[in-house]
Amino acid sequence: MRGMSRRGLLASAAIIGSGGPAMRAAAQDLPAHERELYEAARREGEITWYSGQQSAETSEAVGRAFGERYPGVHVNVVRSTSQVAFQRLSQDMRAGVAQCDVFSSTDYSHSTFLKQQGRLMPYTPRNAAGLLEFVRAAGDPDGHFHIFYIGVHLISRHTGQVPEAEAPRSWQDLLDPKWRNKLAVGHPGFSGAIGAWAVLMRKLYGWDYFTKLEKNRPQIGRSSIDPVTMLSAGERQVGVAVPSATALLAISRGNPQSLIYPTDGTVVVPSPSCIQKNAPHPNAAKLFMEYATGPEYFRVTRRYFSESLRQDVPPPDGAKPLDSIKLILPTPQDIEAGVPEVKEQWRDTFGI
Amino acid sequence: MTETAAILPKAAAEEARRPAWLRRLRYLEPSNLLWILLVAALLFLVAVPIGKLLIVSFEQQGTGAFTLSNYATAYGRARYLEALANSLMLGALSSLLSVIFAVPMAWAVSRTDMPGKGFTWAIVMGAFIMPPYLGAVGWILLAGPNSGFLNQAWTWLTGLQAPLVNVYTFFGLALVIALHSFPLIFIFVKSALDLVSSEMEDAANILGAGTSTAMRKITLPLVWPAILGGIIVVFLETVALFGTPAIIGIPARINVVTTQLWQFFEYPVRVEVAAAYAMPLLLITVGMITVQKLLLARKGFVSQTGKGGERRPIKLGRWRWAVLGYCGFVGALAVVMPLMVLLQASFAKAWGRGLAWSNLTFENYAYLLFRHEMALTSIWNTLWFSAAAATAAVCIAVLVAYIVARKLVPFGSALAFLAMAPFVIPGIVMAIGFYAAYAAPPIALYGTALIIILAFTARFLPIAFANSAAAVRAVHPEMEEAARILGGGRLRTIARITAPLIIRSLIGGWLIVFIVASRELSAAVFLVGPRTRTMAVLLYDLSEAGNFEVLAAFGGLLLALTLILVAIGMKLAGRDFMLRRN
Repeated sequence: MRGMSRRGLLASAAIIGSGGPAMRAAAQDLPAHERELYEAARREGEITWYSGQQSAETSEAVGRAFGERYPGVHVNVVRSTSQVAFQRLSQDMRAGVAQCDVFSSTDYSHSTFLKQQGRLMPYTPRNAAGLLEFVRAAGDPDGHFHIFYIGVHLISRHTGQVPEAEAPRSWQDLLDPKWRNKLAVGHPGFSGAIGAWAVLMRKLYGWDYFTKLEKNRPQIGRSSIDPVTMLSAGERQVGVAVPSATALLAISRGNPQSLIYPTDGTVVVPSPSCIQKNAPHPNAAKLFMEYATGPEYFRVTRRYFSESLRQDVPPPDGAKPLDSIKLILPTPQDIEAGVPEVKEQWRDTFGI
Repeated sequence: MTETAAILPKAAAEEARRPAWLRRLRYLEPSNLLWILLVAALLFLVAVPIGKLLIVSFEQQGTGAFTLSNYATAYGRARYLEALANSLMLGALSSLLSVIFAVPMAWAVSRTDMPGKGFTWAIVMGAFIMPPYLGAVGWILLAGPNSGFLNQAWTWLTGLQAPLVNVYTFFGLALVIALHSFPLIFIFVKSALDLVSSEMEDAANILGAGTSTAMRKITLPLVWPAILGGIIVVFLETVALFGTPAIIGIPARINVVTTQLWQFFEYPVRVEVAAAYAMPLLLITVGMITVQKLLLARKGFVSQTGKGGERRPIKLGRWRWAVLGYCGFVGALAVVMPLMVLLQASFAKAWGRGLAWSNLTFENYAYLLFRHEMALTSIWNTLWFSAAAATAAVCIAVLVAYIVARKLVPFGSALAFLAMAPFVIPGIVMAIGFYAAYAAPPIALYGTALIIILAFTARFLPIAFANSAAAVRAVHPEMEEAARILGGGRLRTIARITAPLIIRSLIGGWLIVFIVASRELSAAVFLVGPRTRTMAVLLYDLSEAGNFEVLAAFGGLLLALTLILVAIGMKLAGRDFMLRRN
């Protein structure tokens, strides 16, 4: 992982240097394995993507870009928080209705559960070979699910109300009583990423961390994105475990915010995506997997400040290269066992 | 309607076994067939989903064996009971606030010479049209303890740092809900007041009562059924509300029934526990309807008879400006202030930057209209789902109300109960009931438009029913009896006598159902498929997406659209009104 971003930067600079027309030409000359899938996918005409990963706007942009690259194959983007997306899928399963082709969430246990239940179609996209090593390793060795999104969760501050000198530098700093009534955070019952973050905090500092955090009366939203909104509005001053992508997007629009990479570790949440065994559009789903692990996808999403997971696409503007900061990441076992526990503990501690 | 086909032969077979019944069959009118159809529709829409929930609440997950453990789980924790208590208190406080807002306004618009009635009417419609969760977002902007415009203005004016108002409190939550529920009471009370003739007030005045005494002792008691009906509807709607408690209640750390139910639907989905948790709410409905019956028992509220009556506005003198001021105050709270902050956000590049020319953009609207994958589809979905549901609900409701009021079938009150019951089932549970009953094969409605339309129809049947029942109750049977004596059949009488008398009420009822369906979130959020998302669901999804500028713009589109439709509807209802007077 170390050193990859710099190399990635160089590689992508070369690609960007070669300009737009080259990319358009590339769209017409699809690689052989994509062309084959595309032929089959065009007969299916569409693909339905349940996703809790990227923001709505980014997801929509991915859907549009996919349609442009593969004319005649339309993406139905169904974007929600991860737990809601999984609820929808669970409902589909209980009703015995197949609607979803590709399912993406920020909760690792969703995909492992689906795999255990024999609900997934194994498929290893050829393009996944170009993903960063640690990302590829976080995917399923049997090819049932793959990672093409990681959440990067950190702290953000309102630049008007919290000067840099006074800003918190670590997760531990947030327990300082001076942040009473100033923090905002999402809810593990809604957000898979917040669940992963809570599991990591518990692992590092014990649940005591949250009983102390509660004394500071953080404002609790639903999505991990909610604190970004609260900061934009000036309602709260410090966002806890906000996704870097949404915060950077808000900053690019002129909202007075700034990112803080915590010294005790930026939380990275590998977020799997999988094809359903009963997918109504299996070829389109495979094509989508190829697309989402290929460079095109990351070129689209980096415009919305999502991390690039390929060496040939640079990180988004304003983000620190992941190899220059301390990262902490949960194991699949942490998530599977830990998230249901922290949800319950959270409700006992915060009362909601 | 396959149920009817199944029921009819069975009913006929029973007739054959019972000669006494058979003989009575000769006196059946064609209308009776309609009543049977109606019962089947009610069973399909209400009884089967609720029955399914009841059964499921006693089933062990997976095996389906009988168990009481779901109830033990549902009520085994203080946190769950607290949520139930919170919902009941919230319902009570919201209905109380709604009455305080609505009744004076309804009285002023219907009975007095207060100026600016069109303005007041617009305020009420505006408050009603604005989806509650959108109003909630607006109020977060207004009354957020740190950033809210009201609090900033307060700090600026007084220099005090402590916030003036805080939306993240129990009262704040109840207030925001009431500000978007009071129109229900207003509409009920106003249409009832419209039917009270001035002669009754005149009589009181002649006997020495002043305006306020006449209002307290004569006018308001006459419309007491409408007020009570409105209170019940607001109470039940509040208990069933999901969006506002999710947006305001979670940050305020107030857990209510709907947000608690949400937790039961988290993976692993515990439909069984959720069903058990929802059951006592049904008992509350039964309780409230019983109380309503007791309160209204042995009293006559008939104000519309075949004899006509004069309606004159009461002269308020100087007080009319004070009354108008009150209407304006409610309007500012419910519509003007939240709408202004939302509009500001919808035209802002970044709402954190406040009002500035450099911050102005149409990009949020352009994005939704031209580049957003689902926005236009969801608008279209919303329109036709709501229109279909409103039509179905009003048709069923008016017929049930008529049957009940005229006592045409035995167990009429059971029908009334069925028609009222859906309102107390939180939308989420209603959705799950539909889901449990109709999603899977052989009916296989999951992901279709039909299941949403049916759920909307069932969910808003109580509004249509309460509205129709009030309308039917106000029509004295003597006019129908006259028609029947002259040889008109039951259906002909309804069509020629009753329907024209209540058609305006029905159009009003249709509009109400249409509007609440178009903003309905809690039932829709669990039934939508990829292709059947409605505006409310999309708004809710946007509210989690951190982009409040686009959320506000989409809210703006929803409001603009509903306003146009309401204007069309009001014009229709209004023209009819003019015709009738001439």
